[in-house]
Amino acid sequence: MTDKSIADMSFEEAMAALEAVVSQLEKGEVPLEQSIALYERGAALKAHCAGKLKDAEEKVELIRAQEGRAVSVTPVEGM
Amino acid sequence: MRAIPAKGWAQMDGDTWLSPGSLNAALRSVGGICAAVDAVVAGQAKTAFVAGRPPGHHAETETAMGFCLFGTVAIAAKRALDHHGLSRIAVLDFDVHHGNGTQDLLWDEARVRFVSSHQMPLYPGSGAPAEKGAHGQITNLPLRAGSGGADMRRAWGPVLDDLRLWRPDLVLVSAGFDAHHDDPLAGLTWETDDYRWITAAVCDLAEATCAGRVVSALEGGYDLDALATSVAAHVGVLEERGR
Repeated sequence: MTDKSIADMSFEEAMAALEAVVSQLEKGEVPLEQSIALYERGAALKAHCAGKLKDAEEKVELIRAQEGRAVSVTPVEGM
Repeated sequence: MRAIPAKGWAQMDGDTWLSPGSLNAALRSVGGICAAVDAVVAGQAKTAFVAGRPPGHHAETETAMGFCLFGTVAIAAKRALDHHGLSRIAVLDFDVHHGNGTQDLLWDEARVRFVSSHQMPLYPGSGAPAEKGAHGQITNLPLRAGSGGADMRRAWGPVLDDLRLWRPDLVLVSAGFDAHHDDPLAGLTWETDDYRWITAAVCDLAEATCAGRVVSALEGGYDLDALATSVAAHVGVLEERGR
C-alpha cells in the first residue's frame, strides 16, 4: 500500500491501488480485523476515480461548448 | 494442538493468537455446544444458546483462522448425526463474515444443509453463490455493503421456506452479531430488531419441522453495546419460544 494520500493520486494510480485492494479482498489475504478498513480504502479510491472521470467529462463538455460542435466521448473501459 | 505455546503467545495468522490456555478454552467451547445439543436432543431443553469463546465458523479442516480454532458448530452437527443418530441438520450462519470453516468441514456432508449470509467482498473472501458443496447442500447468500435488514429478510425468507420442505431434525445457528450497523469490522446496517426477526424465523422453521429444537452458538460481534443488545434480543426470542 502506498503512502501517497488518495487525494494526490492520478486516475491511473488510484485505479491501480483500487485493483490491488479488490484483489486482496477477493483472495481473503487480509486479516478479519483489517478487512473493513481495506474495504473503506477501496470505497475512497472508487470515489476519487469517479471524481477524476467527472472532471474529465466536464472538460470535454467545455471544449465541446467552446468549439460549438459535437465531440465523440468514449466511456473508459471497465468503469 | 502442537501450535499451543508452553508460555507466552503464538500467532496463527493476523487475527488468531494462542496462549497456553487457548486449547482448554477451545475444547470447552466445543464441549459447550455439544452439551447443548445433548440437552436439546434429550428433551431437557427446547432451545439453547452457547456464549462460548473462541468462536468456530472460520476454522477449516487444517487451518485455524479468524479468531477460530475448532469448527464448533460443524462438530455439533456431526455429534447430532453420528452420536445421536439424527438424519438431517440445518446449520444457519448469519455472522457478517462467511462461515468458510463450517463450509469446508461440511463440504461433503449430504446430511447437513448449510446456509450462510455475509457481506461480500469481505474477510475471508469466500462465500460466492457458486460454492454449493459436494451435494448442492450449501447455500451462500452474499449481501452488499451498506445493505440492511430488508435485504437480509429478502435473502433468508425463501431459504427458510425451502428448508421446511427438507424437514431438518435439528437447527443449529452460528450467531454472529457483527452485521449490526454499529459494528466496526463490517459494513452492513442491521438493527437489533433484525436479530429478533431472524431468530423468530429460525424458531418458526424448527417448530414446523423438529419440535422447535434450536441450538445457537455465539460467533462474531465487535461493538460491545450492539453485541449486548443483539444477543439479548436473540436469547429473548429463544427463551420465549423454548418454553
